[in-house]
Amino acid sequence: MTDLPSHLSEEVHLAFPPRDALAIEARKLDFFYGKTQALYGVDLPVERNKITALIGPSGCGKSTLLRALNRIYDLYPKQHAVGRILLDGHDVLADRRSLQRLRDRDGGGDDTAMIRSPVDVAGLRARVGMVFQKPTPFPMSIYDNVAFGVRLYQRKSRAEMDQIVEKSLRRAALWDEVKDKLHSSGLGLSGGQQQRLCVARGIAVEPDVLLLDEPASALDPVSTAKLEETLIELRQDFTIVIVTHNLQQAARISNYTGFMYLGRMMEFQPTEELFANPRGQRTRDYVTGRFG
Amino acid sequence: MDRALVRRLSNIAFVILTAIATLIALTALVLTLWSLLSRGIGGLDTKIFTMTQPAPGSEGGLSNAIMGSLIMCGIGLAIAVVVGVLAGTWLSEYGGNTRYGQVVRFLNDVLLSAPSILIGLFVYEILVRPFHGFSAWAGGVALAILAMPIVTRTTEDILSLQPSALREAGMALGASRAFVIRKIVWKSARAGLVTGALLGFARISGETAPLLFTALGNQFFSTELTQPMASLPTTIFQFALSAYEDWQRLAWVGALLIAAAVLSINIIGRIVAREARRS
Repeated sequence: MTDLPSHLSEEVHLAFPPRDALAIEARKLDFFYGKTQALYGVDLPVERNKITALIGPSGCGKSTLLRALNRIYDLYPKQHAVGRILLDGHDVLADRRSLQRLRDRDGGGDDTAMIRSPVDVAGLRARVGMVFQKPTPFPMSIYDNVAFGVRLYQRKSRAEMDQIVEKSLRRAALWDEVKDKLHSSGLGLSGGQQQRLCVARGIAVEPDVLLLDEPASALDPVSTAKLEETLIELRQDFTIVIVTHNLQQAARISNYTGFMYLGRMMEFQPTEELFANPRGQRTRDYVTGRFG
Repeated sequence: MDRALVRRLSNIAFVILTAIATLIALTALVLTLWSLLSRGIGGLDTKIFTMTQPAPGSEGGLSNAIMGSLIMCGIGLAIAVVVGVLAGTWLSEYGGNTRYGQVVRFLNDVLLSAPSILIGLFVYEILVRPFHGFSAWAGGVALAILAMPIVTRTTEDILSLQPSALREAGMALGASRAFVIRKIVWKSARAGLVTGALLGFARISGETAPLLFTALGNQFFSTELTQPMASLPTTIFQFALSAYEDWQRLAWVGALLIAAAVLSINIIGRIVAREARRS
């Protein structure tokens, strides 16, 4: 199933950053919603401290790919992934069932020995933060929202926690707007503020990777611009993967861009390269607005 | 006749019919409330709350019945909320789509409309006969069985309305599923859960049949859970059927109290729900 229809395979152009610069990486990833296959042998290299954007028409699998990286699909029993997702050389998918599926697909002689032991899923998610399309503030105070993830794993004194909360809110460019109302409900903020609160909550646990699934699609242009500035700032400390429908957004903020189509990674290039000089016909059509 | 005219006429006819139907329903409600008020309010004084039920011809109140109702509804609601919220949570968050979950949901819906007298007989068989006596416990359990399906249902409905992105956001931070449900989903659905409990309470506060078979009734003030206990509905039942005018008057007062309680619970429930939507 991983073979492309022949008219598409000529269009695949992948320029990957060096392996040792990667924070997280998907290798030959298939994804299934029940019996429906949504990803076909997708490779995604994500370089450390860079922003990697995923673009492509609706239904191309970019959100699916993102949701595979932290195994959030585990919530839904009918969804599963086959392949490798490597986080610091640990295979995120290396539980017994996933490995069995991988063996069924690829046969026995693979690189299993190279791969380090599986990470536990909750621990994985603490290292891979996620921000969703619609803001998802928890029904609690702004302070408790940011502290939520930290409290799951660490005991902190009040003073330490205060510091973490302030630092996270500053990094998310929200501090000045909320510093006087930290203990009022996070639900009372505007949409753009809520989304930056979710970013603050995600980075408070100091994850290695931050995944953003169309984070600006529910925001007005001003809030979007603010969020983008925030992300560019965050690049210094975090590795970011962002799914977006907004091509200008991808061009503005990302270092690498992957173009996906029909569940395949069609083209992966440094962003300027992909937009200035797209190799594949389909990529060109998409970035020039011919379809999508 | 042209079609626009036909449509106009049929529209007018339909509006009139619905208005009449509404009027009939409202009239019944208003008349009930009016007769309750006019006959009950006269007997309403502090003695109702301070004195126990009298022998015919002497002075007295309903304190034993009021206390009994509060105790048994309290027991019933406590059991129903614990079981119902857990069952509703399971249906919404874990097993709702499995075959077992579907069976549980179906049976719950059946229980929702089960005749309350059957519940009374059931509890009579399992808690009254084996222990050789009527008791407040048995009454509370019977009421719990009545309120449970309501709480289960509303819990499931309310939790299903919570956006799945909220759960995913919690999980994405590395929290376990159970932790996300307890700290985020329940919290976000808090008002709905309270409304469900209030609805359950409103439902059981007027139930008579299940209490006749279980708590029986008691003419004395009692807080002894292993003994028969008075309650407003059973006392109303007894007094209203009696030949004594002062008993009948007390029955009206009792009915007014129940109606007032149910009405205020419903209003509180609505306020809670509206406040929650606003925040």
